[in-house]
Amino acid sequence: MSDEADTRNVPESAEAVGMDAQGAAAIMQQAGARASTELRIRRPVLFVTWGLAVLIGYGAMWLSVRGQHPFKGPAGPTLLLALLLLMIAAIITAQIVDRAASGVGGRSEVQRGIFVLALLAGYAALLIEKIALVGAGVSRPIQVVLGVTAPMLVVGLVFVATSASTTGLNWPRLALGIWLLAVAAGASWAGPVTVLAVCALAGGGGVLLMAAIEPKLPRP
Amino acid sequence: MSDHDLDQAIHAPARLRIMVTLASLPDGDDLSFTRLQDLIGLTPGNLITHLRKLEDTGYITTHKNGAGVTGRTSVALTLGGRAALERYTAMLRELLDSAGPPVTGTRT
Repeated sequence: MSDEADTRNVPESAEAVGMDAQGAAAIMQQAGARASTELRIRRPVLFVTWGLAVLIGYGAMWLSVRGQHPFKGPAGPTLLLALLLLMIAAIITAQIVDRAASGVGGRSEVQRGIFVLALLAGYAALLIEKIALVGAGVSRPIQVVLGVTAPMLVVGLVFVATSASTTGLNWPRLALGIWLLAVAAGASWAGPVTVLAVCALAGGGGVLLMAAIEPKLPRP
Repeated sequence: MSDHDLDQAIHAPARLRIMVTLASLPDGDDLSFTRLQDLIGLTPGNLITHLRKLEDTGYITTHKNGAGVTGRTSVALTLGGRAALERYTAMLRELLDSAGPPVTGTRT
């Protein structure tokens, strides 16, 4: 054990005191409730955080490109706002996951690692692809459509691919993944201006809706 | 059937808390000694005593990674331990059903 210095055999007198069935039931309920509260990742909070980040981030960019003639793309301050929201959401996510998963090892730890690795690899690949496209002289409208929908495609695919585990199917993750894939694919047809509004409302709104639905869905 | 028929390896407040806490994790997951101690609220010595008793019955396994101050001890419920807790819960439910209001179920 990690605390070998304190391996004295403590008398079990306190534990040996008779515990009736009612007392045992109360202890089970308390311990179960505490473990559930402390060890479970608060997904609704994560959904609200990311839903708002997408809604506000893409929404602000849409407001900045609405009515642009010719199309130049989202204004610099809105890109900075989106970056700031992304960072805040990432920090909140890290804190919530760390609070719940601290000390928890095994399969869940491996699954979390694969989830993060898949997202990072996907975004890295997207960044390299975008640099290549800009270098090849792709027009600004196409850059915006790809820049808005491709990250949503990556997140959707990672959600779908990681929704199954040995303990069962993570329905909220699967449903949200499929929804984000549908939104990203559908929004691509909307053009460089409307794509931002569609992704803000359908993407961010979908994530926010999941925050309300998730507690009611079956858990793996 | 009486309280004495309940699995005595589990039927102690601290060990019951340990078993229920570990059962709240999915199969294949483990919990560090320090996090378990934080959740259960026992001294390290007391926790070790109870863990040894549960380990002797085959209900949990402990595993140490590394050595010295950087070493991390993890604790996990075995399949047998999970089954034992399910049996314990079912028996407890029967006892309470025969005596009064039903026990609220726990995730096992």
